[in-house]
Amino acid sequence: MTSLVEAHGVSKHFGRVRAVDNVSFEIEQGRIMGLIGPNGSGKTTLLKAVLGLTDCDGELSVLGLDPFRQRKELMQNICFIADVAVLPRWVRVSQLLDFVESTHPNFSRDKAETLLAKTNVNARRDSRIRELSKGMVTQLHLSIIAAVDARLLILDEPTLGLDIIFRKEFYANLLSDYFDEERTILVTTHQVDEIENILTDIMFINDGRIILDTTMESLADSYVELMTSGERADTARNMGPIAERDIFGKSIMLFERSDRDRLGELGELHTPSVADLFVAKIKGAAA
Amino acid sequence: MIANQIALIRRELWEHRSIFVTPLAIGLILSLGVLMGEGMLATDTAEVNIGIAAASNIGDESHRSAMINGLLSVPSVIILIGMSILVIFYSLDSLYAERKDKSILFWRSLPVTDAETVISKALTGALVIPLVSFAAIIATQLISMILTSIWIMVEGGNAIHLIWAPASLASLWAATLASMLMLSLWFSPFLGWFLFVSAFAKRMPLLLAVLPIIMLPMLENWIFGSRVFFDAFFVRTVAPIREALESAKASFQISENMRVSSFIADPWQALDIGGFFAKPDLWAGLLVSAILITAAIYVRRYRDES
Repeated sequence: MTSLVEAHGVSKHFGRVRAVDNVSFEIEQGRIMGLIGPNGSGKTTLLKAVLGLTDCDGELSVLGLDPFRQRKELMQNICFIADVAVLPRWVRVSQLLDFVESTHPNFSRDKAETLLAKTNVNARRDSRIRELSKGMVTQLHLSIIAAVDARLLILDEPTLGLDIIFRKEFYANLLSDYFDEERTILVTTHQVDEIENILTDIMFINDGRIILDTTMESLADSYVELMTSGERADTARNMGPIAERDIFGKSIMLFERSDRDRLGELGELHTPSVADLFVAKIKGAAA
Repeated sequence: MIANQIALIRRELWEHRSIFVTPLAIGLILSLGVLMGEGMLATDTAEVNIGIAAASNIGDESHRSAMINGLLSVPSVIILIGMSILVIFYSLDSLYAERKDKSILFWRSLPVTDAETVISKALTGALVIPLVSFAAIIATQLISMILTSIWIMVEGGNAIHLIWAPASLASLWAATLASMLMLSLWFSPFLGWFLFVSAFAKRMPLLLAVLPIIMLPMLENWIFGSRVFFDAFFVRTVAPIREALESAKASFQISENMRVSSFIADPWQALDIGGFFAKPDLWAGLLVSAILITAAIYVRRYRDES
């Protein structure tokens, strides 16, 4: 496996605030990595560093390049959607396609046209971005991105402000039109539950530090959720759950690397959802 | 590199339609003015015409030629004034709007360097806008010549002999284009300054750009008693404008002796291009604009928008 992104001791300060604090991680080719963190956790800053939009301390290599100093070369092989609002409002759909075609060596106009033909934007080639709905703008942006033969796609809250139908469609299209073994995706979102089934890897970031970095398979091995009640709950509580919550009179406890056989005797076992694990980890980090 | 520049400049033309609209609108208004003038002459509601039609009555060939050239330069000057205002607003907006609407993140997601982007905006302000305005000047001049020809023909005159032959169009156009490009170079420190302000201003770029130009010479004089900034700004702005006005007044001094300045007799011959490029002030200005444009690139590249 080749590492597309390698970070060793990456930090970024804003004055005295450490937005990203001594972070190290790797992302291998063909993976879909979810970067999850609360607002202000440093995830956008980290993405900007990976994209070469901001300088940082430490060693950071993306596709073997220094992202900040070799941004132009990097952008030939990276695509990113930061938020739907970033497409300029005055530009016409056809102009946007013309511009990307003439500046991006890895952009296939034919592929973009094929993808657009399947969307509502198809009939709106002469419309300006400001005349399109938010969903259409996202469809357009994704069509352009998917038509770029890029090795790494970075998505920062790509579906913010979209309704559930567009959100589902977005990720379905992402998998069908963009993703294959050659390509790699790094995605951040608040709607963790909508992407957890497409992720292969996950990273939690809080206060500029990475508090979890694992594959989805080992996540299921390392963490288990127990649903129990009454006296058995007290027994389980003594085994040191990292989090506990109550639903309908039942206690739900989250355990990390614990004796599954013993827990199995105390109640029902499940693989925890990423969202629940995230909340437990963040609360644990705060405590 | 060149392909990217073409794409980037085309992008500027898509975004700032005022680059076409402003000179064309001024040209259209001027042409309508000529049309009304000819119409009033034709219907005898006016006895005197200050347009090219009046020049056609001048008997002496060389004087008629100079007069026509001079009158043809009037729309050039008016379009030039409109163009200057356009360049100020364009350059102040060019790196500010993309940050305001956050599209900068999209533009920077493409394989285009910050230097390429900023240079495309400088080229648009210094070269593309003057070229579009030059085209509008030619169109306006041709329209007024054609309208006047129609009037002359209706009156039974020979338009070719009276106005087309004496007008030194080739010389006039060459001189106009060269002057516009020279003006671009001369005023480039201001373009650089506006681009730089546009790249860093959080709000009100116009105010931020204009205030120092007014305040700096005043503060300098007040604190140090010197006038380096005042002289630099004065030499570059007010002095050449006053010079141009003086020469224009001389050109149009048509008394009994009909003093005609050499400039409007053969504008291209009269243009001192070598002298212009020999001015140390020009090169000092170009250096300042290079520094300011580099600063604008630096700001766009290093500034963090989060």
